[in-house]
Amino acid sequence: MKLLRQTYLLLRKDLVLELRRRESLLTMFFFGTLLLFVFHFAFDLVPEKVTEMTPALLWLAFLFTGTLGLTQLFEAERTNHCLDALLLSPMDRGALFLAKTCFNIILMVAVEIVVVPLFWILFNLRSWEAVPLLLGVAFLGTIGFCVLGTLLSGVTLKARARELLLPLVLFPLMVPVILATIRCMEAILRNGNMGDALPWLRLLLGFDVIFVTVGILIFDWTIDV
Amino acid sequence: MPSGLALQLTARDLSKAYGLRWALRDLNLDLVPGECVALLGPNGAGKTTLLKLLAGLIYPTRGDIRLNGVQLSRSSTELRSTIGFLTPGEHLYENLTVRENLDFFTALYNKNHSLVAIARALEEVELTNWSQEYVSALSSGMKFRLSIAKWQLLEVGLLLLDEPYGVLDGSGINLLEAFLKSQCEKGNVVVIASHHIARVLQLCTRALILHLGKLTFDEPRRQPWDSFERAFADFLPHGGP
Repeated sequence: MKLLRQTYLLLRKDLVLELRRRESLLTMFFFGTLLLFVFHFAFDLVPEKVTEMTPALLWLAFLFTGTLGLTQLFEAERTNHCLDALLLSPMDRGALFLAKTCFNIILMVAVEIVVVPLFWILFNLRSWEAVPLLLGVAFLGTIGFCVLGTLLSGVTLKARARELLLPLVLFPLMVPVILATIRCMEAILRNGNMGDALPWLRLLLGFDVIFVTVGILIFDWTIDV
Repeated sequence: MPSGLALQLTARDLSKAYGLRWALRDLNLDLVPGECVALLGPNGAGKTTLLKLLAGLIYPTRGDIRLNGVQLSRSSTELRSTIGFLTPGEHLYENLTVRENLDFFTALYNKNHSLVAIARALEEVELTNWSQEYVSALSSGMKFRLSIAKWQLLEVGLLLLDEPYGVLDGSGINLLEAFLKSQCEKGNVVVIASHHIARVLQLCTRALILHLGKLTFDEPRRQPWDSFERAFADFLPHGGP
């Protein structure tokens, strides 16, 4: 209960700060939209290639946009050494991990809710009925991305070139999430349901559960590196 | 009548290295409830390192710190609620209001203060009219006053201060010193690292001098204090209390 209470306090504080500054959300939203326009001009998405290319392009947009958000994740704590104020407090450091992960998920979901329909409109796609299920899978992938991203943001927090270091460490470790999400999305676009992609969905769920647990347990150590 | 947490702090063979350089070596220290300790020394002596070690913000390379016999470590969640670290203009969220900062930290420390208690703490540091302002709108001195109100509400047993005099005006200094005296009267331990030697010695009951990471002087205050002046002159030949 204490962990959840502290997570709520930290998350509420981060949301209030974000609503006032609007730095991360606006930057992520504009960058995500900009990427869609670049893809729109760069690729000609013919109907027979939709299943193949849509998941990959969408995830590229989510990945780059999310990384932008991750580099800003601890910005409020860097100012005035507020991270020290948190580490000095009797807060369970797992609560900090959970709060930052939830905060990042909220930002990414907000961006995805705009980016996915915009992608459909820009590429003139017809399969609107697949969008809710696609968003569901994207949500699971987003959890995996945010969990691992928050963990590695903590590790690289005190590194000098953290903005450069973070993607270099994060992207290779994200391969299982990217693969699983793309395969699930392909199945949805092809069949209208998960079909033969269920093992990938299990992998995605397993990844999420394992890294949420690992994150809560080891964040204390990663933040002190 | 002491009403504080009555913390007894013990540090044994405390050493901290940054890479190959030792910032602090083999320090032994005992602090008893109600003590107000001046931590002195030239730049790079290891004062801030010692304060951060005592606060549990960094961990020793060798040795240990115990509070009432319990070792301060990564898992000491409850023990951390008894330690405060006051540094000028730091540890406050700029885009939260004065009041929101106090609400956030008191909730994080699980202190259920009434609205009246928070309002009184703000009144004592003369920030009542600023309670709805963002911290970013405050001057350095006002931020420090807010930090005083924060630590007053958090009721810690060990209060560490790093160079507190730099940003305060006359009334701010009086406010700080009255706060620190009240902390010691309650039986809490106060450690002040400062270069304002004359001021800090008036307030403290004991002085420590660190030089190149070593504790070179540790005595209770007395008058006259020839041994202090000799020790002080050793590391700063042209200085004096």
